[in-house]
Amino acid sequence: MQLDFNHKPSGHCENGVVSNLLGFYGVNISEAMVFGLGSGLFFAHMPFIKLHGMAVTSFRPLPGAIFSRVMSLLGIKMKRYKFRDREKAMAALDKVLLRGVPVGMLVGVYNLPYFPKEYRFHFNAHNICVIGKEGDVYTVSDPVVVDKCTLTSEELKLVRFAKGTYPPSGRMYHITDVSNKKDIDNESIRRSILLNCNRMIRIPVPMFGVKGIRFLAGRMRRWERRMGSKRAALNLAQVIRMNEEIGTGGAGFRFIYAAFLQEAAGVMNLPELRKFSEEMTAAGDMWRDFSYNAARMFKKRDGDTVTYDILADKLLRIADKEESIFRGLEKLMKNVR
Amino acid sequence: MKIKEVPQDGKILEKSGEVRDVCYAVDENGDYKQVISVGWEPKNEAINYAWSIIEEEAEAIKKDVEAGKLSPLAFHIHKNVMTPEILASYTGFSKREIRRWCKPRHFSNLDRERLEKIASVLKIGVDQLVRVN
Repeated sequence: MQLDFNHKPSGHCENGVVSNLLGFYGVNISEAMVFGLGSGLFFAHMPFIKLHGMAVTSFRPLPGAIFSRVMSLLGIKMKRYKFRDREKAMAALDKVLLRGVPVGMLVGVYNLPYFPKEYRFHFNAHNICVIGKEGDVYTVSDPVVVDKCTLTSEELKLVRFAKGTYPPSGRMYHITDVSNKKDIDNESIRRSILLNCNRMIRIPVPMFGVKGIRFLAGRMRRWERRMGSKRAALNLAQVIRMNEEIGTGGAGFRFIYAAFLQEAAGVMNLPELRKFSEEMTAAGDMWRDFSYNAARMFKKRDGDTVTYDILADKLLRIADKEESIFRGLEKLMKNVR
Repeated sequence: MKIKEVPQDGKILEKSGEVRDVCYAVDENGDYKQVISVGWEPKNEAINYAWSIIEEEAEAIKKDVEAGKLSPLAFHIHKNVMTPEILASYTGFSKREIRRWCKPRHFSNLDRERLEKIASVLKIGVDQLVRVN
């Protein structure tokens, strides 16, 4: 059984799955719009959560947040599941799938067979969409893959119950009812931008939003002294991988958000937003510049002058830039009505 | 980022399958477009660096195994980028058991059934699990 599902690759896995799922129900919303409506831009540096023994740096809210948010803004009903038992998780998937409903789910990438070996770390927040089943083989729409691909039920079971940091526990989600669908209006865009502003500049904890970027900068300055140059470089590699990794990218997120602001400028007929889009593009370029310079740390030659202090200073400038963008956006959005 | 600046450094992605990066970049009118990329050198370097450190540490553990300080299990856990916690949750054994089996004395007492269970999670044969090369 194969659903008539239009697979489009995307910059970020969750946006892509949500955008493709909506497309299946005839609701055509771009990936960038999904990302913006879901208030998907974020930053968090959390030393108390470890991945491979190192602090987790994340550029997105918890998996599933974008989906829930977009669905509630659009007035679409959906259902989310989480399982303890593997067999029950697979049976529930089959049941929903056989009704002709595509199912989004959270998986770990470590055992995903079509992923390049180099990318297979114990990273458990990847989203895919199951859109068909023939015998024992599931058809999968994975936003980071150009075409549809397949997984056997054993493989799917394994990745749905991957272990490690933030285990997916068979989480899955699908749309149940689109009959009360609302169109995207100015108000929902306005609210989602304001929510994103809140997340980036108003969380009163130093680990999140622009404060989190400054927090990471401060810790980065001490890495080399605290854990030696090798471990420090490994921590830096982890930040870059999180920053640039397929489907999670940090700099990439800035560009997607910029694309969203551009689209929003058209929908709301608010040319000022296009200005902010350009600013956000500049912030994304600064992140890329950070990654580029950070990568020099891994094959440091004599005479190369890059240090953790220089990188930390770059982060501080990014934090200032993003803070000014979101303060400006907040002001604009509060005055729009 | 402009469209012509989208990096195409395909050292990792190009050689394996159809996984790609979708990038957002602006065209000459400043409008955002999707561009498919095969990777970017700084990211490739970060990934390769992380793997080279894992290899290096695995080699060090290998020496400890040969010196009789650690069991082959410790080597395989590290080589698979696992921790005793992750292996414990995949196999259903407790963390304490896995940690204990990282010592040669306790590892040699493991029965066939348990070895097979661990080996299947690590996707190797039992004969490979008890060796380090």
